[in-house]
Amino acid sequence: MKIEDFVKQNRSAFDDKEPSDKIWKNVEASVGLQRGSWWNSLTIWRAAAVVFMVLSVYLFVQRGGAKPQRGSEIALKEFKDVEAFYVEQISEKVEMIDEFQKNEGLNGFTQDFQQLEAMYMVLKEEMHARPSQKVKDALVLNLLVRIDLLNQQLHVLEKGYKNHSDKEKKEANI
Amino acid sequence: MESPVLNVHEELIARCRVGDREAHYKLYKLYSKAMFNVGYRITGNEDDAADVLQEAFISAFRSLESYRGDSAFGAWLKRIVVNKAINALNKRKYDPIPDDDRWDVAEEEAPVEYGDELTVERVKRAISQLPDGYRSVLSLYLLEGYDHQEIAEIMSITESTSKSQLNRAKAKLRESLESMGVTIKN
Repeated sequence: MKIEDFVKQNRSAFDDKEPSDKIWKNVEASVGLQRGSWWNSLTIWRAAAVVFMVLSVYLFVQRGGAKPQRGSEIALKEFKDVEAFYVEQISEKVEMIDEFQKNEGLNGFTQDFQQLEAMYMVLKEEMHARPSQKVKDALVLNLLVRIDLLNQQLHVLEKGYKNHSDKEKKEANI
Repeated sequence: MESPVLNVHEELIARCRVGDREAHYKLYKLYSKAMFNVGYRITGNEDDAADVLQEAFISAFRSLESYRGDSAFGAWLKRIVVNKAINALNKRKYDPIPDDDRWDVAEEEAPVEYGDELTVERVKRAISQLPDGYRSVLSLYLLEGYDHQEIAEIMSITESTSKSQLNRAKAKLRESLESMGVTIKN
């Protein structure tokens, strides 16, 4: 019998080696198929944003009738420095995200972000009218939550972008 | 007449594209064993074959969107495995083909008729004893079903080198099989 014919007739018997189960676990981890950690979950961050908005409203309502206090001018000044720093970071990240998703309309992320931004404006007015440590903390927290949301969204977009470029590279190799 | 490629895993692939973990696992289960053996035959050892299999599936899953369905999924995946395996072999600076053989153009031999002593075990052992270059060409041609044009492209050699290496690989295989007691009928 010719070797070609023999191989054809017994082809399946040549595939007798079994790969180890470890390989799937590594593939799964590398492709990001494992159940994501809470830190990387956009849902968790969106929930955090909502909780923060509720807290802000509560704080705002509670302090609605309060009179400005002495010494609170210091809080206002401190806040202005902190604000300048965070607002710069936020603008940079927003610009990066806009670059990524120029053609996309409103999504869940944009809506959350805009709500937080609106809440920020309300809190800022309160800060000017009745400056206090509590309102300042709420404003800083708002800025921080927005930065986290932006980082999360950038991570998601970068991942998508990286996968896309890997694909292109792969296509070129195939 | 052109017929569309029958893509039996269309639904699974569509589910993978939206990140369905179960669908990824099913595709992996369907192909991992065959692909591991493809990698093993080219690299010649199980550790390298495991690395090749892992890298190939990671690449394939990450590039699923570039898979356009114009070839069968298995053929597309196999090509990724083969490319990775050849890369692994190149990195390892594999056994070069003996100098005498490299410059000496092999004549196509008359087909060899083997006796009944030919067994899968013996053929596998004889293949594993071949130098890396011969083993790759022989495996790609005999077992993976690639033609010389494809082998030339995969291994970055010319078609005539592919033909010549296959003939030499077959001659070496014959020597090994004979030494194992397999008779030749012609």
